[in-house]
Amino acid sequence: MTRPLPQTLAALGTALAATLAHAATDDAAALLQAADRYRTGADNLQVETQVSVLNRDGTPDKERRYTVFVQAQHKSLVLMRSPAEAGQKVLMLGDDFWLLMPGSQRPLRITPTQKLLGDASTGDIATMSWADDYTGRVVGDEPCGADPEPVCRHLSLQAARKGVTYQRIELWLGKARHEPVRADLYVQSDKLAKQARFVFDKPALPTMVTEMVLLDQLSNHKETRVRYLSRQGKAVPEAWLNPMFLARNPALD
Amino acid sequence: MLLLALWVVQAAAAEPEIGGELRLQADALAANDAGPLAAANALTPGLAPIADAGVRAEAQLRGAWHPAATRPWLSALSADVLLATERREGQATVNDSRINELHAASDFGAWQFTLGKRIVGWDVGYGFRPNDVVQQERRRTLLPQTPEGRPVLQVEHFGAEQAATLVWVNPQHAGDPDDEQRGASENALAARWYLRYGAADAYLFGRWGEHTRASVGAALAVVATDELELHVSARALQRHDGWRIDDDADLAPVASNPWTQATLGGTSQWLIGASWTGQQQQSLLCEYWYDGTALGDKQWDDWQRRNGALTAFGATPGLPTGLVRATAANLAWQATPFDTPSLRRDNLFVRLAWQPDHWLLSADVLVTPADRGRIVTLGAQWQGDRVRLNAAWRAYGGPSDALVAQLPQRRVGVLQASWSF
Repeated sequence: MTRPLPQTLAALGTALAATLAHAATDDAAALLQAADRYRTGADNLQVETQVSVLNRDGTPDKERRYTVFVQAQHKSLVLMRSPAEAGQKVLMLGDDFWLLMPGSQRPLRITPTQKLLGDASTGDIATMSWADDYTGRVVGDEPCGADPEPVCRHLSLQAARKGVTYQRIELWLGKARHEPVRADLYVQSDKLAKQARFVFDKPALPTMVTEMVLLDQLSNHKETRVRYLSRQGKAVPEAWLNPMFLARNPALD
Repeated sequence: MLLLALWVVQAAAAEPEIGGELRLQADALAANDAGPLAAANALTPGLAPIADAGVRAEAQLRGAWHPAATRPWLSALSADVLLATERREGQATVNDSRINELHAASDFGAWQFTLGKRIVGWDVGYGFRPNDVVQQERRRTLLPQTPEGRPVLQVEHFGAEQAATLVWVNPQHAGDPDDEQRGASENALAARWYLRYGAADAYLFGRWGEHTRASVGAALAVVATDELELHVSARALQRHDGWRIDDDADLAPVASNPWTQATLGGTSQWLIGASWTGQQQQSLLCEYWYDGTALGDKQWDDWQRRNGALTAFGATPGLPTGLVRATAANLAWQATPFDTPSLRRDNLFVRLAWQPDHWLLSADVLVTPADRGRIVTLGAQWQGDRVRLNAAWRAYGGPSDALVAQLPQRRVGVLQASWSF
């Protein structure tokens, strides 16, 4: 039985569109993996992070230090190091989160929303991979900022699991090297929560993100600078990622 | 002991982690003009004075030292020392210093061992924790406090999704008379088994106390949605420590305090709660709990009746001064059973909090449905990089026969400034 020409053309068109869409998705996944390499560089990391919050007029508001163990399979352990928060710990295992306050020595289950509290949420500090957490599509080539040059590749990302801090991310990557340039970060209600831009070690030939600058768009409009002081490969013992282990105080090297 | 530990640390330590906090605090209290203590002071002024203001200075020092990794049998030495002095109006300055924690840890990978004085906090509730069987931390304090740890020998095993803990707490009290090891001071073995099951944390607890014998418990905390967490905890006790009044003490005055801590029979405790956190950094916590270790309604009715009888007897015209004074002392002793984690067995607790930027603002209320007593607390905290300021205010109220309305204090306020280093 032969199919009429219009139906055949329609079927071909549908198949072509699906193939193109699939190719665009594949392309987005590859771009995300490339972008992630500028932020991580390894599956298991120990990252020393300094977070500085600036008021709208540029005056310093507060400063915090964190030691973050970013591990494979969406596992992160955040140790608060500043005097004001010393001893606090947050453990993130996929979509599940725990908090330890130093006075109680009692690990406490917290909700994803509780994890968001603060100018730089724990998710901003502990999540360093987009490829594992988001599915994306390439929107097209657009200017990176107000200037028409340089041109970036615009990706639209949707959360692939429920535990991520941001439900949707609009991400702009450098067209040549695929380094992250800027991002709009949207929360569950699809409100724009923060705008991010990325600072590199060598602007002309970037190899690593050294700083992420977040501008709050929801409430206080403060600027938060997340500076990565050091990164080194480190796989922590399995026991450290047990919520009940938070009450212990192991040597960090 | 501390000096010895410091000497060991000096000999073995590598890059100790040291920090702490300096705190200055002032509080004021409005005494209650109702209740047994007020009645005692009315009969004999100054018999049981309540200091209505005080100041306190604290330095809390924390340190952790990690000797060489090649010595798993001594992987860490940790200390938390509180130096504190307090002066209350009309009283001498009191030294309230103590060692909160001082313990050595061994690290054999999945197996971990601890020996020394340590805070071991268990259970899932906020206002009440039936299965906090080691630390037995005092809850709902006006300001956050680091509790004083317990002497422990602790063995723990950690897997990917499970953890098991066995604690021998207060071994130094083994064989002591019951009255020298009441409550959290009892020589006991306690165990906890933990299982992570997706969005749920499940716990089983067991405790064997030297005189309170066996208790078993279970708890569950579940993250139901992105904003909502639910928790439940329950414990059954073979025996428990609690207040008992001498059989001889009826409605007439007696020669000594008739209220004593005693080993009582079996009972149960349970709690159910939920917490909700919104995206504007606001949260709501609701908890309801039953504490079978508190005095029952009939016992409190008898207590009220005895208060009334003593007050009436003390007001008898022409009563000799000595008997008036004895009656007043008996009324003051009636405040003894106020020293308990829960006054009434049934309790409802609701807490609202909002955390904008540097601030943490909170309001909570504890209600005892049996007599409609209520405790309302308001709190404000400002946190900078090193400085933290706290203010809290608490009021006790309800109908005149509510227990809360008969506590020695009617209102309490406190201000605290802290500097972290």
